Formats: sequence, C-alpha cells, structure tokens
Amino acid sequence: MHQAIPCSNTRAWPRPADLSAPPPLRHSGGVRQVVQDNPVVVVGRKGCCMSHVVRRLLLGLGVNPTAYEVPTEEEAAVAREVFGSGDVTFPVVFIGGKLLGGLDRLMAVHISGELVPILKAAGALWL
Amino acid sequence: MMELYSGYLEDPFNHLKPLCPNNMTSASTQFASSIRIGGMYDRENQITSVWNDSFQVDDSQATSPSMGDVKLDNTLDDVPNELLGSSKGYEHEASKPPEKVLRRLAQNREAARKSRLRKKAYIQQLESSRIKLAQLEQELNHARQQGVYIGGHLGESALGLTKAIIPGIAAFEIEYTHWVEEQNRQTRELRAAIQAQVSDIELHMLVESGMNHYENLFRIKAIAAKSDVFYIMSGIWRTSAERFFLWMGGFRPSELLKILVPQLEPLTEHQATQVNDLKRSSQQAEHALSQGMEKLQETLSEALTMGQLAGPDVIVNNYMGQMANALGKLETLVSFVNQGDHLRQAALQQMYKILTTRQTARGLLVLGDYFQRLRALSSLWVARPREPS
Repeated sequence: MHQAIPCSNTRAWPRPADLSAPPPLRHSGGVRQVVQDNPVVVVGRKGCCMSHVVRRLLLGLGVNPTAYEVPTEEEAAVAREVFGSGDVTFPVVFIGGKLLGGLDRLMAVHISGELVPILKAAGALWL
Repeated sequence: MMELYSGYLEDPFNHLKPLCPNNMTSASTQFASSIRIGGMYDRENQITSVWNDSFQVDDSQATSPSMGDVKLDNTLDDVPNELLGSSKGYEHEASKPPEKVLRRLAQNREAARKSRLRKKAYIQQLESSRIKLAQLEQELNHARQQGVYIGGHLGESALGLTKAIIPGIAAFEIEYTHWVEEQNRQTRELRAAIQAQVSDIELHMLVESGMNHYENLFRIKAIAAKSDVFYIMSGIWRTSAERFFLWMGGFRPSELLKILVPQLEPLTEHQATQVNDLKRSSQQAEHALSQGMEKLQETLSEALTMGQLAGPDVIVNNYMGQMANALGKLETLVSFVNQGDHLRQAALQQMYKILTTRQTARGLLVLGDYFQRLRALSSLWVARPREPS
C-alpha cells in the first residue's frame, strides 16, 4: 500500500559532494555475516557502474548502504553462498537481512512507493 | 573439332577476351578449354593443364591431359606449341620410364583438379557477394521509401547511412515507423472517444491498447539496443525536436509527468500527492542512473588511458588488454538503455494505478498529441525558410 512519505518531503535534495559512501567491505565474515549485520547491503562487482546506480539511489534517499564488493573470480562462489545457485546477476540489494532483488526490482519498488516503508521497517531510515 | 565458346569470356586473372575461331591467341585458347573443362568432359577435353599455366604450376612444360587415355585432336593446327607440346611431349615421354610419366600425369591431374576447384570457389564467392549487394540495396531503398530519416545524417556523419543497413537496425527503423503510425491512429481514436463521451468500458479498451503499445516500443528498443546500443542512445531514430529532450535513449519520465499533470486536472488530493511522489521518485531514479552513466564514462576513460606513461613495451602489451577491458565496459550501455526504458514503463504503470480510466485515457491522449506535435515541429524546422547568407 502506498503511503505519503513526509520525511522525504522535508529532506533537502542531497548534493553528491555531501554524500560519500562508506568504504566497501570485503570478506569480513563472508557475505552472509555482512548482510545480517547491516540493514542495507549492496552486493556488486568491483567497479560495476550498476552497483554505483544502486548505491546512489539509496544514498539519495538518505540511506547509508554497506557496499560489499565481489572480485570477478569470486562471483560464482559468492552467488552460491548467498542464493544457493551460481547463476545470479549482480548487483543485488539486501534490506534488513533479506534479499530485495536486483536493480530492476529496486527501481520498481522505488517507483511504486514501497521502498521507503521497507527501509524504515528495517531501521535504515528514520523520520 | 574443338568447340569454342562464342561470345566473351570473363576471366578473373586476365581481361575479357573475345573468342572466335580465327582469333585465337594462346591465352584465349587456354581459357576456352578451361571453361569447357570446368563443365563437361568430352572427347575434345584435352587441355586441362592450360588452367594450371596461368597459375604457374611447377610443371612449366604443358604436359599431357589429365585423362589418361584421351585422344589428341590432330586438327588443332592453330593451337600454339606449348599446348601441342602435349603431343610432342608424348613422343618424348614415350621414351622415358613409365613411372615418371605416370607420376607426371598424376601430378598434372591433381594440379588441374585444384585449379578447377579454386575457380569454382572464386565464382561462388562472386555470386554470393552479388546477391548480398542486391539485398543491401533493396533494404536501403525500402528504408528510404518508408521516409526514414537517413539522408539528413549524411551531413553529420557517413555512419548515419551505415546504420540504416545494419540488419537489426534496418528492421527497427521499419518497425518504429509503423509504431509511430499506429500511435497517431490511437491518438485520433482516443480523441474521438473522449469527445464522444463513450462509456468507461470502451475507454478501458483503448487505454489497454495504449499501454500495450508503449510496451511494444520498449520491446523493440531492447532488441535494437542489442544490435547497436549507440544507435538507440543517440536518438537518431527520433526527430530532431524529440532528440532535444533525449535522456538515456528516450524521454525523461519526470519531464513527461510535468507535462501531463496540468492536463489531468481535476485530481483528488490523494491522487495529487501520489503523482507528486511519483514525480519525485522518478527524479531520484533518473539522477541515480545519470550518475551511473558518469561513472561509466570515468571508468571507460581510465581503462583507455591507464599506463600511458609506461615504456613502449608495456604499452604494446597492455593495448589489447585495455581494449578488451574497455569493450566490456561499453556493454554496460545496453543495461543503461534497458534501465531507462524500465523506469519509463514503471512510471507509466504507476500512473495507471493512480488514475481513473477516464483520466488515463486523457493522459495517453495528451502524451500522444505531445509527441505528434514535436514531430511536426521537427518537420517544420527542417523545412523552414533560411535567410541567404
């Protein structure tokens, strides 16, 4: 259900200079651990521009996403660890320890207005 | 009597030579026989080694024919000596050991056979090139007839012309032209229906058609982007005024919403809030995609300029690696085009959810009308009277 989002209304449009993503994490206890410990995690390939889009979108909403960068050699391994199968398109987003999906899903959920409530529920956004 | 081809003989390795009995030169004789050799084998088929001569086969001396027991035609008076060397050769060779003779015969057979195969392959190649050329010409003419905007780009770059004859793109241009025609038709239908105040049920059908029609556009764009992403990104397939608004291979959803909303009044307060939220979400998503695009530009430049200060050996070794890396990055552009269209589609669907059937019908009419006017503006622009300089 779509609801009005007062917090976003009052938030000033963030300028890119103001926002700096936290340094990406690598292998600190594996992907699973990172996903559990952080409310919003973006798992993507190193230097991937689509990961950048995902992070920028979340930053623009006032979220501080944790970036987990996967080197190319480890893609399949990480995919299996996280999804159980080696066949995954990165980047993917975890919110509140649960998999939301890829960029497509994120955009769809954002446009339909469902994203902010999900973020709030996971404690990644405050009023 | 030796049969000869009448008419001209096309020979890839020499020039055209007319053939007639009285005008036989050694070269033409050679090729006369070779043509027949390529075709039927008959009793006049003696001089197979002729074709080999033009290829400068090892055996410089014209030797006996490939078919072991073929009779020589003694009426070949005007045939030059090198060919008749076969008959003379025969006399000489009768005195040589038979193994050598047989071996030479075999070698000649082989050489002649290879010649024939080479010639056949060459002719086949010519034929298929000819067919391909005819097809390309046809596609080009077809695209031109559809009134596709190719000619105007010759000024910008010759590549504009090339794009129209890449098969995937040629297909897209034709499909897009049909798409525009259909959209204009649907727009007319919507206008008539709204003015006639038809029932919601009928409007609903028109709205469904309209929504599906946009989905068709995104679908054909996605296919074309795989063929040539730069073509889609450049907006060259759209008219100039439309191209002025180009973002990520199409229109900005938030801009279209700005155009749409004033025309949709009256909206309920709830609807107005929802539409505002949609506008803002769209802007945020567009911004994120634009930033991703900038990042891609950065990483591409980096990939191409890394290590330029190194010594020449390093540069040479790295070059292909860098190019391969850069190529991989360019592939990401396809994802960007797809994400742009995905965003457009999501915004459309959200509007469909927010608005009533009647409002959506109006919205589609406004959009269709807007695009039509932009295209008309482009035509007027192209045709505008210019002041003499």
